[in-house]
Amino acid sequence: MSDDAIADGPVTGKPDPVLEVRGLEKAFGGLQVTDDVDLDVERGTITGLIGPNGAGKSTLFNLVSGFYEPDGGTVRVNGTAVTGAEPHAVANAGLVRTFQTPRKLEGMTVREAMLVGPQHQTGESVLSVFTNRGQVVAEERANLERAMETLERFEIARFADTPATELSGGQMKLVELARATMTDPDILLLDEPIAGVNPTLANKLKGFIRDLNDDGITFLVIEHDMDFIMDLADPIVVLDQGSVLVEGDPGSVRTDDRVIDAYLGGPLDE
Amino acid sequence: MTNPIRAWYAGLTDAESNVAWSVGVLFVLFVLGVASGVINLSYGLYLLALAGMYVLLSLGLNVHWGYAGLIDFSVAAFWGLGAYGTALVSARDSPLGFTVDPIVGLVVGLALAAAVAVIIGIPTLRLRSDYLAIATLGLAEVIRSVINNQSTWTNGPSGILGLPLFFGTWPILGDVPRGAPTYALDVCLVAVFVGVTYWALRRLHLSPWGRTVRTIRADEDLAEALGKNAFRFKMEAFVVGCVVMALAGVFYAHLQLAITPGALDPTQTFYVWIAVILGGSGSNRGAFFGGLVLVLIVQGTRFLGGVLPSNFPSAAVRLLVIGVLIIAVMYARQEGVLPAQHELITPGTTEGNDE
Repeated sequence: MSDDAIADGPVTGKPDPVLEVRGLEKAFGGLQVTDDVDLDVERGTITGLIGPNGAGKSTLFNLVSGFYEPDGGTVRVNGTAVTGAEPHAVANAGLVRTFQTPRKLEGMTVREAMLVGPQHQTGESVLSVFTNRGQVVAEERANLERAMETLERFEIARFADTPATELSGGQMKLVELARATMTDPDILLLDEPIAGVNPTLANKLKGFIRDLNDDGITFLVIEHDMDFIMDLADPIVVLDQGSVLVEGDPGSVRTDDRVIDAYLGGPLDE
Repeated sequence: MTNPIRAWYAGLTDAESNVAWSVGVLFVLFVLGVASGVINLSYGLYLLALAGMYVLLSLGLNVHWGYAGLIDFSVAAFWGLGAYGTALVSARDSPLGFTVDPIVGLVVGLALAAAVAVIIGIPTLRLRSDYLAIATLGLAEVIRSVINNQSTWTNGPSGILGLPLFFGTWPILGDVPRGAPTYALDVCLVAVFVGVTYWALRRLHLSPWGRTVRTIRADEDLAEALGKNAFRFKMEAFVVGCVVMALAGVFYAHLQLAITPGALDPTQTFYVWIAVILGGSGSNRGAFFGGLVLVLIVQGTRFLGGVLPSNFPSAAVRLLVIGVLIIAVMYARQEGVLPAQHELITPGTTEGNDE
């Protein structure tokens, strides 16, 4: 796609999509919240997902990540169909999501919370805890070391022993992102990563997301802060009334009349 | 020589040292009571055995509620399944018409409880936790009714009598005289059961499994989003807890040498809940302590009968004492007497959490 390019509806048929959504449908009662959504998220991109309130962004996240069962359509992660699969199965396929409001883990320290991230730990099996002690301990050491490195990378290592419930909202957002990377995801879905976060921390988060993207993690990000998302993501997908309105690079999306109309008048960069 | 003990004592929190003191003082009083003849030796040993059984029940429920947040109101039922499991295959009066060694009875009791736990878990563990509470409450009544009414399988209301002593067929242990010596053996047996269970549960809790289960308790959606199959983990926690409860039942059956459906009274379930909440949900030591306090209350209030006038309603007072106690604990110390302190990380992998 060249600069200043914008397409009616979604751009599909990309060469190497991590996430492929086709004809996704979801209605709550009589309200069609997700209406025939097609979406490709190309490997290696940071794709932004924007749209006015009620456009169906969070519902789309919930459908893709297995928290809602779609009425129709398909979802593929790394080419594997995960339509209607349970959330953990979607996560195992390589798609991990965070939540709009950070989830605090009662009674757990930050490093404990980090250690929940790694997939398929030997010590998660009741039997192996008793029969395969050596490997459980070895993995635990390695995971703990990695958790501490990750916390250092996100500049929150000083909270390692702090109960997760004592962190501020912004710190918790960092822990959530750090923990999500511990799962080794192919694609990370972030639901409003900077909601309620101060500008300094928001800038930091932007840097961390870029670094992780350089390491090979693909991102799909919902964010209401236009300056933030337009700076971070390319392409931007605009959702309106349950379907994809346009998809294009930030510059084109920002000035597109249809997008401005969808946001009820007003230019986006006020 | 006293150094390790001193070091251990210095490492305790206030609550822990208070508990250590009260348990110590009670134990000394108990030994004095037995030595001076105030408490009959056999009865004293029986009390200790019973305390061990309540500790097992608390440890089992702690796996459900403390580890996994499962609201299980069928403690008495799974305990009863263990007791009936062994009684049916080992008792002289069993309606099944054959007898095997209590060791086999132990296996049968635990397997029966595990099988029922899986069957009940499949439809209920996918539900929200409050539905599990209702379902288990119903299950407990169903199991009690079945045992009460299926006389051809269970002897119905008259129960199963004539259970052998657990060590009855063993070479030397089987020949000790009835009374205090056999009760002493029972105390040893329950000590082994408690010891092995405590060790196993601790290892399971301080592991990635325990950590994942705690995550599910705190936020099931988050655990799922991180790729953990919540249903599988809840099922495992449910089965493990039920098997520990059944172990308590097996022991009880061979302690009393009889089991009747009346013993599956739901009040037992709530006693055990009180022990776990009082001790501190999610803490094995708390469950252990709660179990001890429970036997003190349930059996201790019996002694009041001798002191108080004969028309004093001691059974009702027992419930009153328990009610007041639970309110006092919730008021003064919501997290229980010995709340969970450990990070759930495998011991020996971080500084300061050596085994």
